Amino acid sequence: MTTQIKPVAGAGRWNAITTNLTDVFYVALWKKAWPLWVGAVALALTNLFMFAFARAVGVFPQMGMWGAQVYNLAGIKVDAPFTAYPLAPLHLDMHSMICFGIVLGVAMAALLSEEFKLRKDHWTGYAAAAAGGVFMGFGTVIMPPCNVGGFYTATMALSLSGPLTVLGLVPGAYVGGLLMKWQATRAVEALDFRALSVSAPAEKKSSSAQPYLGAAVGVTLLAAAAAYASQGMMKQCGLLLFGALFGVIFQRSRLCFTSAFREILISRNGTLMKWVLLSIAIGTVGFALLKATGYQPMHYVLPVGVHTVVGGFIFGIGMSLAGGCGIGILWRSAEGYTRAWVAVVTGMMTAGAWVLIYGKHVGEGWLYGKPYSLAQHGGWFGGSAIVFAFLAVFYLFILYVEAGKRERA
Amino acid sequence: MRELNAIKIKDSHYEVDMRGWVCPYPKYAVEGLVRKFDKGRLDLLVDCPSATEDVPKVAQAMGCAVPEVNQIGGGEWRIAIVK
Repeated sequence: MTTQIKPVAGAGRWNAITTNLTDVFYVALWKKAWPLWVGAVALALTNLFMFAFARAVGVFPQMGMWGAQVYNLAGIKVDAPFTAYPLAPLHLDMHSMICFGIVLGVAMAALLSEEFKLRKDHWTGYAAAAAGGVFMGFGTVIMPPCNVGGFYTATMALSLSGPLTVLGLVPGAYVGGLLMKWQATRAVEALDFRALSVSAPAEKKSSSAQPYLGAAVGVTLLAAAAAYASQGMMKQCGLLLFGALFGVIFQRSRLCFTSAFREILISRNGTLMKWVLLSIAIGTVGFALLKATGYQPMHYVLPVGVHTVVGGFIFGIGMSLAGGCGIGILWRSAEGYTRAWVAVVTGMMTAGAWVLIYGKHVGEGWLYGKPYSLAQHGGWFGGSAIVFAFLAVFYLFILYVEAGKRERA
Repeated sequence: MRELNAIKIKDSHYEVDMRGWVCPYPKYAVEGLVRKFDKGRLDLLVDCPSATEDVPKVAQAMGCAVPEVNQIGGGEWRIAIVK
């Protein structure tokens, strides 16, 4: 980030100070994309602080609860899919605050950086998003839960399920990515440069009011947080703000997990995933230390079995088609992608119907294995060592795939 | 099937409008576009932020120059690719 003071000819110290402040607090934060490593480190630390405050990050289980709420409002009695996320009014539910925070944080960041746009899609895009949401809805209850919760957070939390989701998510994201690549290739093939007629290029639009709207969203966010705090609802207040921080980090660093999984095999490029792995490594140290003190030792330790891989595969296809995982579609929704709105609705309605479909909650019955913490037999040190070994193996796998690209070229 | 909107600005200078195509479509399309294109300048219009980094990387890896990536509106960019 730029921190040096630019020489300002003929102007006083005041100008130098304002220039410097603008460089740091406007240009570096909102005009330029953050380096990926900043996003990776910030995500790990935010997740760690939020775990210490209340809970770690994950968004789909509460979105499934929203779906169940809608069914109940429509007169169809159904319980929320996850017992740890019971039916509750959305404005009182602390877990939902993370989702609302992400939406507000992304909207603020996107507007401040003038990257917001109400983006319409082709009907095939809406169809893909609707299907992607359904796939993710099923994936989240079968895996469980979503990509960020089930892979990223669960691995940090020393859940055996975390590393295993990769066996489903990588091929799933690949299948979804192939469909998109095929579609793009078909469209390019149909284009004939020689047949094009001459016309005027698209014009540049004049500057917009987006940064002011972004500031207004920021004020709204703080006002909502203050309102919860004034009612003594500190968990809601805190998780709303943490959610917003996640939103800002994701929007500015563009650290997209869907892309990280998809591009390993599609473009043989694992740059994003390597940063995600670094982020997990940082988080694992913190989670293991906190848990070793007896703090929520089974937090994000999830059922593990064949369903982990199958659910991951289904979820992987879904996130590619929808253009984002659970967090990804919330994030794109707040950037103005109407396609993502469709995926949010079909995703929450699918996950919300799980108890109707399966007859039991997530984690109960024949489908699911038992939760297994890597610390159960190896202790906190041994458990962390296993996670680091997994990260090393995944890293080597990525290098192996990338080396194949150079060999072919 | 979804089609690409494109126009000719002048000889050897084209504009392909991929606004409305979410990430990663522009990144996947640019490879084929560059290959299909003889010589000259190709302007790609995109409206997904990550394309402003991904598209130049793909084009540069294929030996093209990317003289400009300019914002042309809220959430919209023009990426110039010269082959």
